[in-house]
Amino acid sequence: MSDNKEQIFFTALSDAVLDMDETTVEEVAHKVIKEKFDAYRAIENGLVDGMNRAGQLFEDEEYFIPEILLCSDAMYAGLNILNPYINRQQQSARKKVVIGVVEGDTHDIGKNLVKTLLDAAGFDVIDLGRDLPPCQIVDAAIAEQADVIALSTLMTTTMDAMASVIKILQESGYRDSVKVIVGGGPLSQSFADRIGADGYAPSAPSAVKLLHKLFQDTIHA
Amino acid sequence: MPDSTTLRPSQKDVLFPVQRLQAYGKGLPVDRLPCVPIVGNTAARVLGVSVSSLRNNGKILADAHIAAYRRFGYDNIRVFTDLYTIAEGMGAQIRVPEDETAFLGESAIQSISGIASLRPVNPYRDGVLPEHIEAIKRVVQEVGSEVPVTAALTGPFTNASFLIGAVNLSRLVLKDPASVHHLCQLSLDSALAFAEAIFEAGGTPSLTDAMSSSSVISPKQFEEFSYPYLKVLADYIHAKGKTVTLHICGKTSPIWDKMADTGADCLSIDNDANLLDAKNKIGHRIRLMGNVHPSAIMLQGTHQEIRREVYKCVAAAYDNPKGFVVASGCSLPTETPLENIDAMLDAVREIGYPVSAELKEEIANNPLQ
Repeated sequence: MSDNKEQIFFTALSDAVLDMDETTVEEVAHKVIKEKFDAYRAIENGLVDGMNRAGQLFEDEEYFIPEILLCSDAMYAGLNILNPYINRQQQSARKKVVIGVVEGDTHDIGKNLVKTLLDAAGFDVIDLGRDLPPCQIVDAAIAEQADVIALSTLMTTTMDAMASVIKILQESGYRDSVKVIVGGGPLSQSFADRIGADGYAPSAPSAVKLLHKLFQDTIHA
Repeated sequence: MPDSTTLRPSQKDVLFPVQRLQAYGKGLPVDRLPCVPIVGNTAARVLGVSVSSLRNNGKILADAHIAAYRRFGYDNIRVFTDLYTIAEGMGAQIRVPEDETAFLGESAIQSISGIASLRPVNPYRDGVLPEHIEAIKRVVQEVGSEVPVTAALTGPFTNASFLIGAVNLSRLVLKDPASVHHLCQLSLDSALAFAEAIFEAGGTPSLTDAMSSSSVISPKQFEEFSYPYLKVLADYIHAKGKTVTLHICGKTSPIWDKMADTGADCLSIDNDANLLDAKNKIGHRIRLMGNVHPSAIMLQGTHQEIRREVYKCVAAAYDNPKGFVVASGCSLPTETPLENIDAMLDAVREIGYPVSAELKEEIANNPLQ
């Protein structure tokens, strides 16, 4: 019986994320806390579920960047409320991703989108921001003991900075400890191969699939 | 028109670009299809100067584009350094690395409450626009009789994204449409002022509108926030008796009809769009231009790969009812090897025009997907 009631709240969260309704997400999230439902499950079965549905609509070209941004605003509004109530054990299995836009580029819509979808897919995502020097990206990845470095650019002029990141990783002896994935308008699989990246994602949803593949679907195991 | 004893931009061509385009437009035989590798800051490499030296110096910018045109012999000069020149004139902070393409540092305003501080540009005074006008004048004076001289004009919706930031603008699209229109209208006023100055300098504006892509906004949002402003600009250019090319990056197939409805005479499509589909869907309404991959092929490809891609593009669209221009899908990366651009034009020269019966047969026997 309480499972059912719980599920009604989770569905409401999922729907509100999908409907870009930040206010409703906050209201329901507060109720989840008040009713002492499991915050972790509310995130997984509510907020993340809604974001995944939004991601699917994005892939189906029914949602576009504006809709996805508002869905992600709603998701994060809920996460802010629920996150303090989840216990550490539930968090520890998550793979850590550092994400950023390389130096010379300040376009970060694509990066933000990938961050959102990776958050929703259960990764622990650390956003380094935009216009990042290659050294700073590598330093952050090592400091955070990241499993993944995700790099994005919209500008052809900055593609060499991605190659630099991998070179510096090799010199630091950290290359084998981390997967490097790249994405963004001007890139291609052949570019990713050439610079020695572990993968290339042509779109934000495909970045999630790519990481799942690279980790052989062990994320939620 | 230059007389026949003048040196061709390339000794490999028979016609000058203006002659070629005029004859091709009338359906007459020409030496080859028009070809436009969209050269931007690669022009600095041809002249042997730094990328940043072009941006705010009309003479160097002109010299670079003249030198690039003379080396490659392509069919359109586009005076262009980056998309941010108008937004900069309206207060956006642009970062200018010594030898790379400039990029947006900070948008002109951080939230819609700052909108009252925004004014349309005066192209003769603001930012680097006066130098760009000077460059257009010089290029027109030097080679304007033999090749069309255009200048990139950033679309109002894209410019609006530089005024308030792309993420902010994307949210406003759903939360505050009136403010988006306000930003687009200010951007349109700026674009019209710059367009007029481009015409006065002897050039023609060429529209480029990255953010209007279906990779970013929905077709419905395009119709509401991009289309009306692009149409005003296309109408304005037509009123000046000129044709206009419209480039939108990324995916565009859902908005091809609307792009043609702007009145644009030529669509320049990127690699996320398919030339054959475009031909079948809107080729009877509009000329097409595209779409050799700027980075995977032009920057990194071998000459053989470039040749193959050019053949693929020609096979897909040589018989486009309203004509076809072999082009790169988007602006070329600055470091595109100059020999690769030669290879692109050489492939177009090798094919010639009309396309030979042999090649037509080969295309017919190997239908593209």
